[in-house]
Amino acid sequence: MVRRYRFYIFLFVLLYANLFFVHRTFSQNHQNSVADTVQNSPILDHAVMCEEVTDKDPINPAVVFSIKIGKVSCFSVFDPVPEKTFVYHKWFHKDNPSTNKRLTVQPPRWATYSSIQLRETDKGPWRVEISDRKGNLLHILRFSITD
Amino acid sequence: MFMSFFASIRWQDIIDILLNSYILFRLYVLFRETYVFRVLTGLALLWIFQRIAVFFGLILTSWVLQGITAVAALIIIIVFRNEIRSVLQAKNLKAILWGFPQKIVPTTIQIIVDSVNALSKRHTGALIVLPAKEDLKDMVHSGIPLRGLVSKEMLTSIFWGDNPVHDGAAIIEGDRIAEVGVILPLSYRSDLPSHYGTRHRAAFGLAETTDALIVIVSEETGKVLVAKDSNIEEIQGDTDLIKILQEHMGVYEEENGYQKKENFKISIAAIVSVFFITGMWFSFSKGLDSLITLEIPAEYTKRDPRFEIVNASVHTVRLDIAGSGALIKSIQPDQVQVKLDLGNAVVGQNIFSITQENITLPPGIFLRKVVPSVIEVTLDETIKREIPVQIDWVGELPKGLVLSEIFFDPEKIEVIGGKRILENLSTIYTEKVHLESIKTSGTMFANLALTPAALKIAPGSKDKIRIAYVIKPRIE
Repeated sequence: MVRRYRFYIFLFVLLYANLFFVHRTFSQNHQNSVADTVQNSPILDHAVMCEEVTDKDPINPAVVFSIKIGKVSCFSVFDPVPEKTFVYHKWFHKDNPSTNKRLTVQPPRWATYSSIQLRETDKGPWRVEISDRKGNLLHILRFSITD
Repeated sequence: MFMSFFASIRWQDIIDILLNSYILFRLYVLFRETYVFRVLTGLALLWIFQRIAVFFGLILTSWVLQGITAVAALIIIIVFRNEIRSVLQAKNLKAILWGFPQKIVPTTIQIIVDSVNALSKRHTGALIVLPAKEDLKDMVHSGIPLRGLVSKEMLTSIFWGDNPVHDGAAIIEGDRIAEVGVILPLSYRSDLPSHYGTRHRAAFGLAETTDALIVIVSEETGKVLVAKDSNIEEIQGDTDLIKILQEHMGVYEEENGYQKKENFKISIAAIVSVFFITGMWFSFSKGLDSLITLEIPAEYTKRDPRFEIVNASVHTVRLDIAGSGALIKSIQPDQVQVKLDLGNAVVGQNIFSITQENITLPPGIFLRKVVPSVIEVTLDETIKREIPVQIDWVGELPKGLVLSEIFFDPEKIEVIGGKRILENLSTIYTEKVHLESIKTSGTMFANLALTPAALKIAPGSKDKIRIAYVIKPRIE
């Protein structure tokens, strides 16, 4: 019986093997693509909200800031930075987009920050979304501006 | 004007009037000539007086009458429970709904016939004299005046063997037994049958000398005979006796007349019932037209459970309605409804027209105007989504301190709500958390503030956020 159907069995095995290898190849390619992307993006080491940045150091990092200080900054450190690229600091006030800052980062390691001036109407909850060049979200910092 | 007035009457109104007229008519038939009916009539008059007192503004009078009519129904049921029970315990439903309780009033002739039958059965001899036009005073004697109403009991007891007057005759004039124990003149005819006794001869003696009719009950045989105008004949049955008595007394139409009178009364009662109910119907439905405005909340039915209402252009509908003053005053809140069918509604905005079909009104109330005539309802599909939480800090920290770090749990909350809302929602905030009281590191709890209010926390999710905060001195 096997002899009679050996042609069909061979065809089936060939078809199955073909599908298997194609899938593996696709996965491999996809993973390579993802890996490639990951490898070229800067890695966010840490990020904080602070009152100001002096000598590349964040001063008074906090999650609540008084309107009286007049300014607030988002300080972020990327390590490593594979290649020169840029990142985004997207500022949201009460879930409404406020400003979008594009910041350049360079290898091997880079610290950068963005700031906004505070007005009376800026009281309330804020967040900053840090994303890479392709828009991949790297981190969210949440803070509030109060009296 | 009259044509339009009659044209506005519906077939339901005619049934309404006829049904209530029949009920009133049946109440009259079942309770007529009883105390119940008289008391009911009295109460109806009290109610009318009370309405008149209200109309003229007589405060004390209307208050007193109102109090009496308020407890009248209870009083009637308690006081007349026996009469009501006897009606309700009628043998069959037909008697209540359709029967006419007959008031049997036996006539004088019927009483005489029944009495004669009873005497005949018991072989009790009796002589009953019914005068015609001629006066019998000269022909009879020794009679004892009685002047009692004719009754079967009276007649049978007169001729009872131990009664002192049983040997004589009883003279009946009209519906009264005028005299008893009367001695009648004897007949001296020689051609009378030999078995005729004194009683027969006495009857025959009066019959041949006057125009009176004498009924004889034989003691020996129990047979009934009638003597009149020199003739004596044996009576075979009640019908013959009734006929003879009717002819002699000239009361052919007596029973028929009574029945006709009763039928006439019932007919009048039926007509009065119809007129009365028709008058009441007009006062309720057509008289004193009143117009009012009601604010009714819109109700939604047949909503798909997957959808929820996120917005409606209005929540209440203003209805201008009209009807008679009595009906308008008695409207209950749940009798007027505005309902919109969401069976065919889709996600997004839906526009519904409010028409007569959407509005429920009590009978006799009519819709004049609806504002607004259109409602816009926005439906959204209900979904569940996990959304990040953020603490909403307010106030001012004490000088020289910074809130450097916080750790809170849970960081995300599962929320149920409309898809359109949740897809655009990126943060759930807590209620305002005040900074003034924070001086050192510690923990606290904060409630979530769900906005819009239509959002709900999914079952199993926490609704309180535990916050651990770190306070450090400010670097100046």
